[in-house]
Amino acid sequence: MDTKEIVPDEEEFILADLNNDDLVEQMHEDLYDGLREEIVEGTSILLERNWSADRVLNEALVEGMRIVGVDFRDGILFVPEVLLAANAMKGGMAILRPLLAETGVKPIGKMVIGTVKGDIHDIGKNLVGMMLEGSGFEVFDIGINNSVEDYFEALEKHRPDILGMSALLTTTMPYMKVVIDEMVKQGIRDDYIVLVGGAPLNEEFGRAVGADAYCRDAAQAADVAPEMVRSRRRGGVVSA
Amino acid sequence: MITHTQPRRDPGRGRRAGRPARAGRARARQRSTAVDRETWIERRIPHVEVLDAEALELIEHNADLVLREIGIEFRDFPSALELWKEAGADVDGERVRFPLGLCRSLVEANAPREYQQHARNPQRTTIVGGERTVLAPAYGPPFVHDLDQGRRYATLEDFRNFVKLTFMAPGLHHSGGTICEPVDVPVNKRHLDMIYSHIKYSDKPFMGSVTHPDRAEDTLAMVKLLFGEDFIAKKTVLTSLINANSPLTFDATMLGAATIYAKNNQATIISPFLLAGAMSPVTVAGTLTQILAEALAGMAYIQLVRPGAPVVFGSFAAAVSMQSGAPTFGTPETSLVIYGAGQLARRLGVPYRSGGGLCAAKIPDAQAAYEAANTLQTAALAGVNFMLHATGWLEGGLAMGYEKFVMDADQANMIAVLLKGVDMSENAQALDALREVGPGSHFLGAAHTLANFETAFYRSPVADNNSFEQWREDGSLDAARRANGIWKQMLREYEAPRLDPTIDEALVDFMRRRKSEFEDRDY
Repeated sequence: MDTKEIVPDEEEFILADLNNDDLVEQMHEDLYDGLREEIVEGTSILLERNWSADRVLNEALVEGMRIVGVDFRDGILFVPEVLLAANAMKGGMAILRPLLAETGVKPIGKMVIGTVKGDIHDIGKNLVGMMLEGSGFEVFDIGINNSVEDYFEALEKHRPDILGMSALLTTTMPYMKVVIDEMVKQGIRDDYIVLVGGAPLNEEFGRAVGADAYCRDAAQAADVAPEMVRSRRRGGVVSA
Repeated sequence: MITHTQPRRDPGRGRRAGRPARAGRARARQRSTAVDRETWIERRIPHVEVLDAEALELIEHNADLVLREIGIEFRDFPSALELWKEAGADVDGERVRFPLGLCRSLVEANAPREYQQHARNPQRTTIVGGERTVLAPAYGPPFVHDLDQGRRYATLEDFRNFVKLTFMAPGLHHSGGTICEPVDVPVNKRHLDMIYSHIKYSDKPFMGSVTHPDRAEDTLAMVKLLFGEDFIAKKTVLTSLINANSPLTFDATMLGAATIYAKNNQATIISPFLLAGAMSPVTVAGTLTQILAEALAGMAYIQLVRPGAPVVFGSFAAAVSMQSGAPTFGTPETSLVIYGAGQLARRLGVPYRSGGGLCAAKIPDAQAAYEAANTLQTAALAGVNFMLHATGWLEGGLAMGYEKFVMDADQANMIAVLLKGVDMSENAQALDALREVGPGSHFLGAAHTLANFETAFYRSPVADNNSFEQWREDGSLDAARRANGIWKQMLREYEAPRLDPTIDEALVDFMRRRKSEFEDRDY
């Protein structure tokens, strides 16, 4: 079977020459291809044309990443390509984030994420972080081996919508409950959505430690997180 | 301002080429990657060898003793006895005893180390022998099995299906022969339909009929229509399976077909058919001795018929259960036989046939998978040049499995990657990647990964590597169920290779004429 489809298109063109519809469509393609510089430029052009930051975010970036997410889920795009797309998205977000803050538009979401105490494994956690950034989230990655105090400090500092905890070891995953119990004790549990993940976890474990959801992989986390934030802001029940 | 140029990584995605290009990527990626259509596997790793020089010499010596003292029977085939007498063998009734070294010298002096087998599509012409491995589907099962209909007698429709599936499987280089026995067609006519199906529905090389000398002649007549008479006079276009009637016997049916193919310079695989414990001694060394003796006598006979005719050192190796008498597969003793016979064939300087996805399982279950994996990988590591039965085999060869075919074809693809060995190019050394990533972090987004990930790893179309939850959402399918979907999709997507309508018509006319020349018979 032939795995390559070569449809060369040598045409060069200037992004700024495109009308709005074509430019947005091109940005979807560029996100798909992980072209960060082009996304940064496209974002700037739309802003220069007096688009609101909110509109650029939703119509150009979020919609583009939605397509990426669908194709990743369907096995068409692979992990390295999605990371590249997320990186391009981040380039656009860096421009939009301060503007969004100025205009008082609620960001898509903020997340603090870290691997629990005793555990130094972080590749899966990093993937979740990158995927969420790709969904437009602002992600504060506090790294590995985090104690209750570390998590609390980060929550205090960043005021996220979501706390994400990760573990690879069966011996460290119970620490998630330690963190959540402490949140309950201090009366802040309901201020956050708590997502947990990692290879040895399952849905039952997620429920048992008192998390709002267990995410089996990065793609699902990127699916679930924005939905849960929206639902919470609508005052809906936070659960998955 | 940036000039927007071609995306860096994917020339298929120019401006607004998004959706069609995605569809192309989707099509390509639904299948396994890292498998190119090839006409053989070029081996770049060493053979696994289980016998030292002393052991090999001892087995060769013992095989010579078997040939001289016990001899081989050539039954109901007087012309073979005449040839052996002329060659200096001692012929007593149908028993032929060979002077020391006669068979070996006939093979060493005349048999080619490797040979080209032409396909009707020149790009599929293959070479059997040397550092190459050619894979072909299972041969001979009277039943077929699939998850929807269970076990039933094979029909011509099944036969066509398996020719099509083999045509589509990138890891199979050869269309095989009697992939399953189409029992809905009379015995004396089904060979015509089988040969025609190989020609019509595939363009890979294939095997000739051996169940009667007349059927070998019909096969030759059909390939002459396909390739032209002049071409056949000079080239090998058939590799056909000649089994010894072990122990130590060749029968008239096999000798008849072998003689016709040899006279026409067409290749034969001389295969001792040994179920150790029943058709050979229970030990590995004893079985290897008998394999060598039978293969030597058969290949030497071919060289008497036509010096230089291509022959393959065959070995169908299995063992019977001493508890029940049933054949067993994928067992460690048989693996030792497959490794050892490969060494013997290489010392003799002829291509080697063995292995396949052999198993005793009735359904595509765990037993089927592990027994087949044991035999497939053993045969690959043993240096098999022509691997018959690579895909589909169930139940000791009684059934051809649709799902099993898909599972084995997956393994066949992996064998190709394994045998190619380790890429040591600058890119493969990956120092760039190591420098870029450094301690901690990860390689998933590294430039080197981005440049190489699409072909870096063999990706199985059968295996499910998803999370438990994802697997459950996808229907909690086991490997056989997933394979069920794959073969159906393959048959839906099958497109026949082009065949010159004039040739097609000539073949159909020939079949019609031959079928009308005699009554249907079931023998």
